[in-house]
Amino acid sequence: MPVEVRNLSHIYDAGGPFAFRALEDVSFRIADGEFVAVIGHTGSGKSTLVQHLNGLSKPTSGTVFVGNLNLSDKNTSLKEVRKKVGLVFQYPEYQLFEETVKADIGFGPKNLGLDAEEINDRVREAMELTELDYAELAEKSPFELSGGQKRRVAIAGVLAMEPDILILDEPAAGLDPAGRDNILSLIKKWHESGKTIIMVSHSMDDVADLAQHILVMNHGKLEMEGTPEEIFSKGQRLQEIGLGVPAVTALAMRLNALGFALPSNLYRMEDMEQALLHALKGGKHV
Amino acid sequence: MREMTIGQFFPGTSFVHRLDPRTKLLIMLAYIVLVFLVKGFVGYGVLAVFLLAACLSAKVKIGYLLKTIKPIIVIVFITFVLNLFFTEGETPWLSLGPVKIYPEGVRFAVMMALRLIFLLMGTSLLTLTTSPMALTDALERLLKPLNKLHFPVHELSMMMTIALRFIPTLMEETDKIMKAQAARGADFDTGNLIDKAKAMLPLLVPLFVSAFRRADDLALAMEARCYHGGDRRTRMKELHYAKIDGIAAALTLLATLGIVAERIFL
Ligand SMILES: Nc1ncnc2c1ncn2[C@@H]1O[C@H](COP(=O)(O)OP(=O)(O)OP(=O)(O)O)[C@@H](O)[C@H]1O
Ligand SMILES: [Mg+2]
Repeated sequence: MPVEVRNLSHIYDAGGPFAFRALEDVSFRIADGEFVAVIGHTGSGKSTLVQHLNGLSKPTSGTVFVGNLNLSDKNTSLKEVRKKVGLVFQYPEYQLFEETVKADIGFGPKNLGLDAEEINDRVREAMELTELDYAELAEKSPFELSGGQKRRVAIAGVLAMEPDILILDEPAAGLDPAGRDNILSLIKKWHESGKTIIMVSHSMDDVADLAQHILVMNHGKLEMEGTPEEIFSKGQRLQEIGLGVPAVTALAMRLNALGFALPSNLYRMEDMEQALLHALKGGKHV
Repeated sequence: MREMTIGQFFPGTSFVHRLDPRTKLLIMLAYIVLVFLVKGFVGYGVLAVFLLAACLSAKVKIGYLLKTIKPIIVIVFITFVLNLFFTEGETPWLSLGPVKIYPEGVRFAVMMALRLIFLLMGTSLLTLTTSPMALTDALERLLKPLNKLHFPVHELSMMMTIALRFIPTLMEETDKIMKAQAARGADFDTGNLIDKAKAMLPLLVPLFVSAFRRADDLALAMEARCYHGGDRRTRMKELHYAKIDGIAAALTLLATLGIVAERIFL
């Protein structure tokens, strides 16, 4: 199900004394099954943007389409939208509230009006998808779990609604390296199983590893859009707007400053290896 | 939720902003007494001039101050209507069966409505021009003599300061958790009263959990920086009365004289 955003603007507290333009004339299209990364400095409007994709925030102007649902239309059922587009917030573990892990994951399906059996199936499935052991954890209180487990329970709560499009706002923030790798490899798996993924991230390395399509936000505007190759070949501009580049790209930029002539669009380790071998064999360095 | 006008603070450097918060608090106290002392329209005229002058010198738009009345407009209206119908006088202006409206009733109703409006506009002007921190600070200083009676003035004002500091944070948090649960299909608006109360659970539990965590963190952070109660604490910002405080006090005295004169001679 494609997502189409046209001329989207959002003003917080519009008309009030603290009016703030968080999004300005943003347009893009996300194809079915894509892995999209949204990057940008703190306060650039990433969270505001993704909250428009499932109707949690309303555009001040512009339109958002998910499939053929127009989210600005008053007659569009928000329930329908939220079934299709799952949104996992930043630090989602803070929204856990039920007595058991099972009940918390079942909250979404229950709101969809499913029957008990179906809810149970979905909970099991969602726990499997997030590598949580049903036998061990289902009856535990979510507040007893470790940070990484809590995060996965919260994500499972969204997965249990079986959305076609899964949006994750900084899914790896605040986790230890093992927890981070775990979450990211899970996300990769869900993408491979056919879901459209939209991930907000601060880590250029994660983005370089996973994304097929990148949206770069800068002060509420869509600064750049394209494939990782296109985006990371503009390393200079990225750094100007307060973003980093993947470690590999940074290395290539440093080497080129020393006189190498590596291509400017390197961002993956394998490509770097090839390019370096080529350059060294060709004896192009000074 | 962020559109509330009551209690919002606009930073600035105007005459009113620069007044010592203690002065403003005392003037506010005098103002409230005056609002209740006023007997007739001459008195309201004096108060209106006073409020207008304060408003202009604070560089607050009058329209904005008027807007702060919006949340209590219903209360003002009810007060007005009740007083209109239930005040008895000598000769009715209008009588529709058992309902009689007397000129005294009209006069009294207008006075009461004006009283409420003046009270709210005055207090709004205070909170618009004084940060909550400055206000609690001023309150602590003014109440200091009560320490002698073993009244925990410092602790009380510290609690107020912390509470005020966390109101916006909690509002933001509420907003965020509501959205997060709405993303999971939670519905806070429809259904009967019991449904609605139940629907609050997914909001309240996370809110309390995070409030307690915050409280814990804050207590730790304060202890780590060696915070200990009120005695012999020095302050980063000392309050000092200045010339402008004298000017403001004199102006208030003038208004007071006007209203007292009204009470005695009119
Ligand atoms: N509810 C709100 N009311 C008013 N302003 C807001 C609100 N939410 C966000 N903002 C402002 O809008 C801007 C964009 O916020 P947003 O949360 O979308 O940024 P972000 O790119 O997600 O940042 P971060 O990387 O810190 O998560 C920020 O300047 C923020 O202060
Ligand atoms: Mg954000």
